[in-house]
Amino acid sequence: MITASTLLNSETIAEHEQSPQEIRVRVLRQDAPGEESYWQQFAIPYEPNMNVISVLQRIAAISKAQDGRKVAPVAWDCACLEEICGSCAMLINGRVRMACSSLVDNLFKETPGEIELRPLTKFPVVRDLSVDRERIFHSLQRVKAWVPVDDSYDHGPGPRISPEEQEDAYPLTTCISCGCCMEACPQFNKIEVVQREEESDEELESRKQSAYDQQFLGPHAISQAVRFNSHPTGSMNADERMQSLTGQGGIQMCGNAQNCVAVCPKSIPLTRSIARAGRAATVWAIKKFFDR
Amino acid sequence: MATTSIPEDSFLGRHQFLLYRLFSLAGFIPVGAFLIVHLLTNASVLGGAAAFQSRVDLIHSLGPLLPAVEWIFIFIPMLFHAVMGFVIIATGVPNIGSYSYQGNVRYTLQRATGMIAFAFILWHITQLHWMGAPVGGGQFDPHHAASSAAVALKPVAITLLYATGIIATVYHFANGLWSMGITWGIWTSPAAMQRANWLSLFVGIGLGAAGLGALGGMRSIDVEKAKEIETRMYKARQMLDGGISAEAQQHSAHAVSLSRESSSVMPAGSTSSANKEKRSKKKD
Ligand code: HEM
Ligand code: SF4
Ligand code: SF4
Ligand code: FES
Repeated sequence: MITASTLLNSETIAEHEQSPQEIRVRVLRQDAPGEESYWQQFAIPYEPNMNVISVLQRIAAISKAQDGRKVAPVAWDCACLEEICGSCAMLINGRVRMACSSLVDNLFKETPGEIELRPLTKFPVVRDLSVDRERIFHSLQRVKAWVPVDDSYDHGPGPRISPEEQEDAYPLTTCISCGCCMEACPQFNKIEVVQREEESDEELESRKQSAYDQQFLGPHAISQAVRFNSHPTGSMNADERMQSLTGQGGIQMCGNAQNCVAVCPKSIPLTRSIARAGRAATVWAIKKFFDR
Repeated sequence: MATTSIPEDSFLGRHQFLLYRLFSLAGFIPVGAFLIVHLLTNASVLGGAAAFQSRVDLIHSLGPLLPAVEWIFIFIPMLFHAVMGFVIIATGVPNIGSYSYQGNVRYTLQRATGMIAFAFILWHITQLHWMGAPVGGGQFDPHHAASSAAVALKPVAITLLYATGIIATVYHFANGLWSMGITWGIWTSPAAMQRANWLSLFVGIGLGAAGLGALGGMRSIDVEKAKEIETRMYKARQMLDGGISAEAQQHSAHAVSLSRESSSVMPAGSTSSANKEKRSKKKD
């Protein structure tokens, strides 16, 4: 399992004494949504301790393909550079990873001197390595991944949470909505709703929302539902979350491949959440049947 | 909040959760339970043609009820599981090329073995079950269980196909048990899932041994000798049935009073035990 922590535990530069002089980068580019994608090669000088973001910064600075042709800079998303904002997930050497925590020296152990970058395949491409991640947040909305506090009254202190409960829930709260788990999940398929001719923006939007509503929530949203249902205040909306978890595109879509837990950069115990949600769904469905 | 409402379009969409859970349950009960009984019954051939024949006789003692039992408890649930299985296979996009983790390999194998099991079971039923007779199959003769199976399974190619089918089906069931435990929330922690692997392994190896043992057992049957045993057993049964009715007629005249007495006390179900008594008397 390659996780951020193992990647960050990179060895010293000394171990890479015969480091290559240059880095050859292959990027799968796409100029706009719905357009054909194409490969482009770049070559930049090697520097120690680079990550994939700094590689992309060097490419943007030269904006020249390997053959010397002047090209538009490669587009990508990033913000925090410390695996917190969740915006920089991409396929690095064929596997989903965070660009900011993927160190070049580590990548060279897989493919010396070369790096291949592709946009995520489960989300619509906006441009080059930048994708439309709306569905990640749409899923969180479906399971109400929050504690509703919609007034300004003082409700007094909330219920107490034991240290054990806290410790149990804490890992789940570290999700950064990066999309890695969804990208690697064989049960999570791409949805790209394309505007039809003479379709208004509103029509397109509602078509997209209902497409998102019907398909698999994804492991992150299941885990957040479990997290908020185990929270004493959050559990007041437990029924609504169970409704979504057992609705169309809910927990039943998971096929137990367990890729999600293997690629999650935050090492969140997603399969534990999925099994807990499965147990809750079993109990909930039986209860619902007999209480009807 | 338009975003939280789930559009309830199709039947499949409205009842998706229920259908998936019924699918999962069907894989275990009755289909998985049947697989266990079936492989263990077949393995009884290792105790000789007579042992196997008496198990088969027990099943066929259901007589005209057998097809109904087969369809309700085996074929229909299996078809439901298989149809849903193909729907589920169609909704996934396997990616072991990029993510060759153990869990993903098992996920992919679960689908591959499901499809192999489907093809194998279809062929297996055609070849041996009486329903396959119209298309040249139906080679299994319930009155000559071991010998007819031995003849059908003898060709090396057939044996190899059976071995493949048995291994695939047993893997599918054993690994399915593990995945089922997650689906229903029986094992939830990674440590518990790890322990559940042992259960799957145990079931898989046990059933695999029973299935392959049965296959080997059938092949090593001495067909002529088995036929002799089976024919003797068949005649004994026929004689019993015929004998009982003849005896009953003979006795009918002077046994009126007796049978009146007994029939008034004996419930309908106890006739078989009465037959058994007669059977043992007959043997003397
Ligand atoms: C005949 C063709 C069959 C097909 C196409 C098929 C297909 C599948 C598939 C795709 C799954 C994975 C579902 C998932 O994890 O989401 C599955 C699970 C399962 N199958 Fe089958 N299967 C077949 C036959 C059988 C047979 C013969 C058995 C029993 C001996 C069986 C028992 C199971 C079990 C126990 C599961 C686990 C359910 C779960 O994960 O909740 N299947 N099957
Ligand atoms: S669960 Fe992990 S992989 Fe999935 S979105 Fe959250 S942080 Fe990313
Ligand atoms: S365990 Fe479920 S959610 Fe996670 S990758 Fe596998 S199928 Fe997807
Ligand atoms: S830049 Fe924020 S997670 Fe990588």
